[in-house]
Amino acid sequence: MNELARPLDSIAGFAALLRDHGLKVGVAEQQAMVQAALRLPLDRPARLDAAWRAIACHDARDWQRWPDLFERYWHPQRTRGASRISGQTRPSRALQQVVHDLHERLDAGSPSSRPAASDTALDAPPVESDDGGLARSQGGASRTDALHDRSLAQWLPQDLAQLERLAEAIAQSLRRRLTRRWQDQTRGRRLDVRRTLRASLRTGGLPLHPVWRTPRLERPRLFVLVDVSRSMQTHAQLFLRIARAFVTTMDARVFVFHTRLAEVTALLRSDSASVQDKVNAVTAGFTGGTRISTSVTDFHTVHARAQLTRNARVWVLSDGFDADEPAQLSDALARVRARGARITWLHPSERPPASQAMQLALARRGLIDRCLRLNSLQDLAKVAELLHGRQPLRSES
Amino acid sequence: MTEAQLRESLHRAGYITDEALATTLWLAGELQRPLLVEGDAGVGKTALAAALSTARGQVLVRLQCHEGLDLSQAAYEWNYGRQLLAIRLHETRADRVQEADLFTRDYLLERPLLRAISSEQPCVLLIDEIDRADEAFEAFLLEVLADYQITVPELGTVRARHIPQVVLTSNGTRELSDALRRRCLYHYLEYPTLAREIAIVRSTLPGAEGLLIEQAVAFVQRLRREDLVKVPGLAETLDWVRALHRLALRELPDDPGAMMATLACLLKTREDRFQVGPQRVRQLLEGRRTAGVAEAAPQPT
Repeated sequence: MNELARPLDSIAGFAALLRDHGLKVGVAEQQAMVQAALRLPLDRPARLDAAWRAIACHDARDWQRWPDLFERYWHPQRTRGASRISGQTRPSRALQQVVHDLHERLDAGSPSSRPAASDTALDAPPVESDDGGLARSQGGASRTDALHDRSLAQWLPQDLAQLERLAEAIAQSLRRRLTRRWQDQTRGRRLDVRRTLRASLRTGGLPLHPVWRTPRLERPRLFVLVDVSRSMQTHAQLFLRIARAFVTTMDARVFVFHTRLAEVTALLRSDSASVQDKVNAVTAGFTGGTRISTSVTDFHTVHARAQLTRNARVWVLSDGFDADEPAQLSDALARVRARGARITWLHPSERPPASQAMQLALARRGLIDRCLRLNSLQDLAKVAELLHGRQPLRSES
Repeated sequence: MTEAQLRESLHRAGYITDEALATTLWLAGELQRPLLVEGDAGVGKTALAAALSTARGQVLVRLQCHEGLDLSQAAYEWNYGRQLLAIRLHETRADRVQEADLFTRDYLLERPLLRAISSEQPCVLLIDEIDRADEAFEAFLLEVLADYQITVPELGTVRARHIPQVVLTSNGTRELSDALRRRCLYHYLEYPTLAREIAIVRSTLPGAEGLLIEQAVAFVQRLRREDLVKVPGLAETLDWVRALHRLALRELPDDPGAMMATLACLLKTREDRFQVGPQRVRQLLEGRRTAGVAEAAPQPT
């Protein structure tokens, strides 16, 4: 390890933490972080927070997650309950010291200390053992999590194939909505006069290249909210597997919740044994209980604010037992509905959820489009049939 | 230009920014990376690029994205009319025009991207509302943003003489590709805090009464906590205070009825107008006097 490796190790360790939490931080981002540290004045290393945030965050979700991750890594003493349990020795995490060391080493003019060079700390950030990484992601929480013992990888290939088929059938059956907008299409039925005239300029005014248009059809945008609380632990694995199928087939966005809401779409895109661990890690910091209305409110005010339109479909996969005030759930769902999104509630029980919150929500007309049972692939097949056959709303199986 | 100087210049240009945004802007210039700014409508994303160009004394080149935006509207287009005219003119002369003569820079119409790339002076390129453009156009942008060059098949590759400072804005109505996001620095612009919003309004409308500005901004901050379809942004606040100032008001009227007519500046949908009736306006006004005005920053949305 060269002399510069200690501060670089710290930055690489930070980048590894960010990656663990779903931020897309590659070698290019790591190099940019080092460059930012070198360019910022030495007397104000705290400004690295803003600089690194701009480099490492790529969307609003990363942006919101950043302050917690930054504090947890660089100022662990300020973060309550964030004890590390791996016991491994780590490079210094004092931010000021890291920046100071970086500047000092570069000022010394050592050729080997150039950050752009092929430094092992940049090219191959130290990856901790799986156990260590997981423990860190969980903030020291117990690994006996509700989902942990149920691996997403334990499904049989024929089950997976059937699930994919069902998801595709449902995706097809979700009616595409006709929009007011038009799009270019070779076999369109309306002539785009402006573009045709424009294109005719290159042929001396002869319209040899007519441009045709057709109305644009938009596929609904699907949001899946999966309840992963204790009461749902026997069903969460099935629900996540189903949700993953919709991520693959129609680019759905998937959120998990019990006391808080977190998006796991990126984690579900890759089908590996570690997916379950990562989903566990995301939810491990949540305390007990189920706050459905709080999570739904968080969903429509923060995570999907700009995308909840008439074209959105929201599927809530939950047993409906809510620790919030019963009336709050109806209000939260009503606000989602007010944006035009249509809500389908999928529950694992034989009958519709008997909780007071759900009863109130179901009693309000026009709030929940359908309340259907989903406890197996057979149930999903029935859901596909119902959606395809466009049976009356609020069908219950 | 140091970060502090940039922040000061932005202030002089009428854009009051916090330290984090100033650092990000400065870093984008240092690393020569595009900056992707997201946030709700009306928080000042487009104004940021305009202020940046003023602060740096550079020209602002703006590309407004929309559905169906293509290469001919964004980058370049051959001036077919002029080419045809040249052919006809040369027909009357002895020397016939060659094909190569027609595909030179003289016959090329520069659209915003090419104009920014081939500008003699450094400039600020604003690619506004990139989420409204199609995915195909987004893919085309990758070459421009990664290498600052545009390839014109008939001419070759045009490389930037000066790397433009690129600012992309998005309202988040469509997910942008990872490839585009990873080429950019990122900043999420939230609604300004009470103190910053007051400072911005004061700076923009120096003629308005101080008390009126404070009360109006506090009212808007409280209004943003309501569950509105269209949350009023900074632009709406400025419109509203401007309207109140034109009405020669020195402070907010106590009578909600008198305020209702001016709320058209803030509430832009029928549902919001219905939700914020005179009764609710009264509550919001009274809250101002009792609960101590929205000192805390508004919740991110």
